[in-house]
Amino acid sequence: METLGFLMDGFAVALTPYNLMFALFGAFVGTLIGCLPGLGPANGVAILIPLAFTLGLPPETAMILLTSVYAGAMYGGRISSILLNIPGDEPAMMTCLDGYPMAQKGRAADALAVSAIASFAGGLIGTIGLIMLAPVLARFALTFGPAEYFALFLLAFATLGGITGKNPMKTVIAATLGIMISTVGIDISTGTQRYTFGILELYEGIDFILAIVGLFAISELLFFVESRMGKGREKVNVGKLTLSFKEFVTTIPTQLRGGVLGFISGVLPGAGASLGSFISYTLEKQILGKKGRFGEGDIRGVVAPEAGNNGASSGALVPMLTLGVPGSGTTAVLLAMLISLNITPGPLMFTQNADIVWGVIAALLIGNVLLLVLNIPLVGFFVKLLSVPPMFLLPIVTMVAFVGIYSISHSTFDLYFMIAFGVAGYFLRKLEIPLVPIILGLLLGPEMEKNLGHALVLSDGDWSILWASPLAMGLWLVAGLGLVLPYLIGPILRRRMNSAMKESPVSD
Amino acid sequence: MTGFGDRVLGLGLLVLAVAYGWAAQQWPEPFGGAEGVGPETFPTILSVVLVAGSLYLMIRPDPDAQWPVRKSALELVVSLLVLVVYAFLLEPLGFVVATTLAVGTLSWRMGAAPRRAFVTGLASAVVVFVLFNYGLSLSLPAGLLEVH
Repeated sequence: METLGFLMDGFAVALTPYNLMFALFGAFVGTLIGCLPGLGPANGVAILIPLAFTLGLPPETAMILLTSVYAGAMYGGRISSILLNIPGDEPAMMTCLDGYPMAQKGRAADALAVSAIASFAGGLIGTIGLIMLAPVLARFALTFGPAEYFALFLLAFATLGGITGKNPMKTVIAATLGIMISTVGIDISTGTQRYTFGILELYEGIDFILAIVGLFAISELLFFVESRMGKGREKVNVGKLTLSFKEFVTTIPTQLRGGVLGFISGVLPGAGASLGSFISYTLEKQILGKKGRFGEGDIRGVVAPEAGNNGASSGALVPMLTLGVPGSGTTAVLLAMLISLNITPGPLMFTQNADIVWGVIAALLIGNVLLLVLNIPLVGFFVKLLSVPPMFLLPIVTMVAFVGIYSISHSTFDLYFMIAFGVAGYFLRKLEIPLVPIILGLLLGPEMEKNLGHALVLSDGDWSILWASPLAMGLWLVAGLGLVLPYLIGPILRRRMNSAMKESPVSD
Repeated sequence: MTGFGDRVLGLGLLVLAVAYGWAAQQWPEPFGGAEGVGPETFPTILSVVLVAGSLYLMIRPDPDAQWPVRKSALELVVSLLVLVVYAFLLEPLGFVVATTLAVGTLSWRMGAAPRRAFVTGLASAVVVFVLFNYGLSLSLPAGLLEVH
């Protein structure tokens, strides 16, 4: 009941015309970014952060804008999967399996419509889960001391490489690099200058917004240049909507199962949307068995992964909002925004910044409705956009990133810095060093150091305090598992995802 | 040799880790003695972790990635140069001129016909300039177009 009251307050925040306008804008831009092959939610949010900043938006508005972009990008991901058989990002991969065959059979309109509804169902279920689970988890997290927090951060790093991540050592390296970057600047507790080399611009540390935009947006441009995906694509014919009400009704159980499974895998650290769409697709295939024609354009093969990945995108917000530990790359970028707004994410946020938390949650609910309303009539527009060649789009996107960064500080120095991060991002991605742990290290490094300091002060310098309590010990254990599991499960999961892709007769 | 990329990266990281850790030991001890955590404690731990990571990379490298050769490598360098020059010219030339040149050159190098590329550049530059300056009232440098 108490929760319901907070949610009502949240609606009061989210439903002001000003915030509603930004939610609508975010949902639109998000869908746009999501449907462009190659650009995923993380890039989308990264590119818009500087804009949210320079506009001087109030914190709740900025967060509402960015979460709408996030949700929109998850919605948009399905469009290029269905029409072109090109997943915009990893979670959209499973949608290709049945979406593209449906499109080839001339049922593209049906696939698009039903996947929009499935995305809505998944998003809705995920948001309801978030509403129920987040306050409970936040209350539990209030019992955490500095040692537990230190262990929790380690857990976040250990699992963020994800179960599908290849080499856990590279995750460790990436996280360490990120934390190292965060130590540049003047040490808060002692005032010592660390790694500034006397350069004035470095005294306040390296702005992680520069790093994020450089690593994500600029490196993406470089990858495009290399792969020469500049050519336009043939026009796609969407066809007429032939979906019958009866056929739609048969997908409802799939929508529910997919949304719930997606939410659960979103909450689990490191699992995320890719796993969400994968397991809901596989489960559906197993439940329906011979009754389904999966891989040949079964409508439920479109519904399951879409409900799954949108459920997961809300689920990933649970650890981010309650513990200050993001469950996915995109939520890491959202976390960066919160920290830049001087809001410390974590359990205290639910009491200190209740209007922001509940405003964002309410905005997610509203955003899902907006997205549904936006997606059904505007799908033709998004489809047209797909035939605009990336050789025009990508330079423009890069320019927008430049403008955003420049507008924050009006300093060209920052632009060079951003380009440098872009080059580094290109090389790191080539060498399969994941970028997300770098960002996370950059964000959590200072908090980690602070908690380490507090813990050691409490224990008079006895390091064993870090694993003294059962809770801290448990966190260390799970963190260890998070590093070992990719070795054991990762290859199996990857093989399965790939063989599922190969089994489908039409994919190339 | 397989794993060449990872080995080079490992070596680079090892040098970085040692330099980073060594620099941390050079800081003057903060006033009040060395109890608890000093400014060097955390960086020291990090450098140890990174040394371990970089050694691992050198001993057990992953198979090599495909690196761009000749033409695409050249295109990459050209795109990077465009970005750097764009940052350099943004203030003196002004947003519209610099952006037209940058977006146009990038599109052209990515395979668009030169004329369409620069028209797209100009159009996007004007739209963003108007949007930012008048719509959002954030000032972008006008440069050559500035009215005196």
